[in-house]
Amino acid sequence: MWADTVLILFISICTALLGEGKEVKWLTWLMVYRTEKYQKLKAEVEKQSKKLEKRKEAHGDSLDKQQKKKIEREEERLKNNNRDLSLVKMKSMFAIGFAFTALLSMFNSIFDGRIVARLPFVPISWIQGLSHRNLLGDDYTECSFIFLYILCTMSIRQNIQKLLGFAPSRTASKQGGSIFGPPPQQFK
Amino acid sequence: MSRVKGTDRLGNGNKSEPSIWIRAITANSEWTDKEEFLDVIYWARQVIGIIVGIAWGLIPLKGFLGLLLFVLVNAGSLYLYFSSFQQVDEEEFGGAWELTKEGFMTSFAGFLVTWIIIYSGLHYD
Repeated sequence: MWADTVLILFISICTALLGEGKEVKWLTWLMVYRTEKYQKLKAEVEKQSKKLEKRKEAHGDSLDKQQKKKIEREEERLKNNNRDLSLVKMKSMFAIGFAFTALLSMFNSIFDGRIVARLPFVPISWIQGLSHRNLLGDDYTECSFIFLYILCTMSIRQNIQKLLGFAPSRTASKQGGSIFGPPPQQFK
Repeated sequence: MSRVKGTDRLGNGNKSEPSIWIRAITANSEWTDKEEFLDVIYWARQVIGIIVGIAWGLIPLKGFLGLLLFVLVNAGSLYLYFSSFQQVDEEEFGGAWELTKEGFMTSFAGFLVTWIIIYSGLHYD
């Protein structure tokens, strides 16, 4: 049993590292960042935002109607491009999510019905469904794979993110952050 | 979403100040960067979580008492640390509750994992 416990800890360290590590970066790079479409879009967005800022700075408050319209049009285009960019990124997020789901279900079937650890406490009833999943008997101190895996992931993933500096800053997460995950500059 | 590099990690202290490690163990240090202090709190929590997990597993402490004692030790020791050892102004960080919350869930998960692993390894098998 203890071998299983340690193995699960090891698995969750690996998956957490994989999620943050080079492999996924590489996959994303292969799927998204390398593609011409993405490069073009990115360059354009950068160029546009710079141009827009400059124009705003140069004119200050004294804008006539025509210039205002021009800026508005530019902003609209920038918004559209930004949206396209996140769509491209989303594609890779889905692929990664899919791969991880497949991995998890594989481990789930390997450890199906096996007691992987003994809990030193009896979990409250709404957690028992998770901690005693697919286990026989009424001894609720027996622990199933999924519960231990979730706990390991909870503790390891965030610490790794923080250690590597990938965790979103506190102010950013307070403001809600982006639903598309980490900022693009970390994928370099 | 911009992130200031360096503030997320431990050990990247400002050059004019002593390193973050030294400030963390010196009483009444000055914390110009709030993120740095929050990082110290965060990592202290993780270390406490793991140490307490190992201790409870070795004893072995069981049941609800173990969970309760962990919460008390974790919240209590860190509260003493920031309120009497460092004497920071809690309001600057949004109150004592915000400081108590910092990294608590992660530390709790880490505590459970070490507790369960040590307990299963030593007392079953």
